[in-house]
Amino acid sequence: MHPLVLTFLIFGIPAAIGLTWVFLRGSSGLRSYITTRVALTIPMILILATVVFLVMRVIPGSPIDSTLGPKGTPEIKERFAEQHGLNDPLAVQYGRFVADVFTLDFGNSLIGSQRPIVDELGERLPATLEMVIPATLLALGLGVFLGTRAGVRRKSATDYSSRIFSVMIYAMPIFWLGLLFQLIFGVWLGWTPIAGRIDPSIPLERTTNLLIVDSIITANWAALRSVLAHLILPTLTLGLVLSGVFLRLTRINVIETGQEDYVASARARGISQGTITRKYSLKNAMIPVITLIGLQVAILLAGAVLTETVFAWPGMGRYLIQRILSRDFTAVQSVIVFFALFVALISLAVDILYSLLDPRVRY
Amino acid sequence: MTEPDLLEAPPEEQWQVDLERVGFMRRILNGRKWYGVDWWMVVISSIMVSFFIFIAFFPGLLATYDPLEQVGPRFLPPGETPDTEVLLLHVDSPIESLADLAGLGRVPTAVVQGAPSSEDIRSEAERATEELAAAGSDDRVRLRMVRLETLEEVLEAVETGEVELAAASSQQVEPLLEAYPDVVIAGSITGEKGGKAFPLGTNQIGQDVLSRLSWGARVALTIGFTASIFSFAIGVPLGLFAGFTGGKLDRGMTLVMDSLYAFPGLILAIAIAAVLGPSIFNIIVAIGVLYIPTYYRIVRGQTLSTKEGLHVEAAKSIGATKTSILRRYIFPLVVPSVAIIFSVNIADAILTGAALSFLGLGLPPTTPDWGIDLARGQEFIQRAWWLITFPGIAVMLVVLAFTMLGEGLTEIFNPKLRKQ
Repeated sequence: MHPLVLTFLIFGIPAAIGLTWVFLRGSSGLRSYITTRVALTIPMILILATVVFLVMRVIPGSPIDSTLGPKGTPEIKERFAEQHGLNDPLAVQYGRFVADVFTLDFGNSLIGSQRPIVDELGERLPATLEMVIPATLLALGLGVFLGTRAGVRRKSATDYSSRIFSVMIYAMPIFWLGLLFQLIFGVWLGWTPIAGRIDPSIPLERTTNLLIVDSIITANWAALRSVLAHLILPTLTLGLVLSGVFLRLTRINVIETGQEDYVASARARGISQGTITRKYSLKNAMIPVITLIGLQVAILLAGAVLTETVFAWPGMGRYLIQRILSRDFTAVQSVIVFFALFVALISLAVDILYSLLDPRVRY
Repeated sequence: MTEPDLLEAPPEEQWQVDLERVGFMRRILNGRKWYGVDWWMVVISSIMVSFFIFIAFFPGLLATYDPLEQVGPRFLPPGETPDTEVLLLHVDSPIESLADLAGLGRVPTAVVQGAPSSEDIRSEAERATEELAAAGSDDRVRLRMVRLETLEEVLEAVETGEVELAAASSQQVEPLLEAYPDVVIAGSITGEKGGKAFPLGTNQIGQDVLSRLSWGARVALTIGFTASIFSFAIGVPLGLFAGFTGGKLDRGMTLVMDSLYAFPGLILAIAIAAVLGPSIFNIIVAIGVLYIPTYYRIVRGQTLSTKEGLHVEAAKSIGATKTSILRRYIFPLVVPSVAIIFSVNIADAILTGAALSFLGLGLPPTTPDWGIDLARGQEFIQRAWWLITFPGIAVMLVVLAFTMLGEGLTEIFNPKLRKQ
């Protein structure tokens, strides 16, 4: 089976089951919210695809020049334009492009093996997911934990040090943090590998291209160990950078909810501070944090591009950069559209999750 | 029933009262008392920002060398003097440089067998002879090479006076020198006093890292400022217009801007930069486009709430035109909140610019730029830690300075936002 399909199944089936369950059990208000939100995703994808289309076609520097470079003679350029339908009117090109986006048919790569781009993405997307998901979990865990502590004990040493941490981490270029980790843990201490997903000398049969899943289903423990060791530094880099924002938001929200009347009355009833934090403040403070996950997807993907470049991680971001540098215009356009699809789907998922947590959110 | 005094509004704090009374400068000058940590943030970060702007205008003050030229040996660690060939003499020797040997006949000179020192000192002696000839003297500098097995033997020979002088590499000699109290280094064989040290080392092609850093400040700040002005100049009018007119146009524009905002900015900038090709102007456009929605969203929101204000209604009722309402009653109230974002926006633009050039997309590859230096440094991470350390610190400090300035100013000028 195509790895891209497999990946979609692995993540899509639970999501679909969850969505159906929510849809059947939820109130009519929730149901109409979800329907509207799902319907709104389509114009969002369309707009993003259009932006990509415009950026790639309309601004100066045509795809022909950027693919062929200065070497292309007029005849070669003409043939290239004819082959790729670049001589058609812009509206026709646009229609074809949108149709391709919705059928996920991205055409073939222009260079090298000229494989279908969907196949390439099938190898790259799982790699990116394998790094991005643990990084998000790390960021969320660390950010919420430190943010709660800082918010509960305001103006303590914990508070100031976590604020300094979040400012520093915001100012730190993510690729530089990655380089520092490589230097310290990889080169000086020699604890972790600094590049790639797995030791190339370890054989591993790839079915899903999620190497953790692959090594578990084939019971290949040596491979699993290698995969996990390679995962440490990229996850740490991306996770730490993202955690700063979560920390700040959690802290502010815990402080704000801590001043609410219901917290004061809980305190007056003699409920312990720990219980108040867990059951009263944190639950309400989490609502904006969940929204933030949706907004963070953009930062997450941008961070993933840089992290993948630093750690030679064969994911979507590195593919994008490689194809840009080798002037493979079709591939570049497809990857960017794919990113747009990804963003649209994640923000859909987050909004639905949000509407479950906060019954005030309805259309 | 509640006690009546609980229903009264809490007394206003002193800083709020003061704020009503004094002007702009007093606000800042009294800041330390009122704003505590935030005031310090603003002071420290404005000093840092001014420093970086100063460096961007006069990079030559920090950079002693041309950032594009090879000025030293490759991979010289920070602060270390490069390895040079030095003259070794006996403490009592009257000789100071090779020129003093003129007319003394063939002077016995010790070198380590096979070391480059013997070739170097011989050619240096010939050069000294030529200089003497040019000055009208017939004397010649002549050396008789005494080739010895080890450096210790060479030092021994100078110590005992067996040879008049010796030549060896400075890095090899220095650790051994303690054991031979009568031997001194008379400077490099060319007559200069030792090699030059580079405070932050040199890179893989012998360029001075510090010089590249300070010229890089100019590139980074140019990108940061110009890109932010670009987004400001487009985002603010669009936001004002959309917020003021409302209706379908507003909804359409907001949908587009929101989609742009949701899209990973760096990836959009990558796409634009890739299509436009590498140049500083193109990178500015790529980054500028990215931050238009940031300004648009804030200005539109502010305009929406401001246009409901009583003063706008009053202006309408006395027959002010739409343009003058927009220009004189809305714009002045909207702009302060944008001005504060501007500083944070510069920080973001610098970060994105560094990321783009790190990826090899933004600038021509020889530009002295922090991102490019980091990308190059990564190739040599195993042997030269300083190549990736210092440009990264530079990016971080600049971004930190602009972010802290923006956030500190927000707290000071929007006291309503201060959370108790």
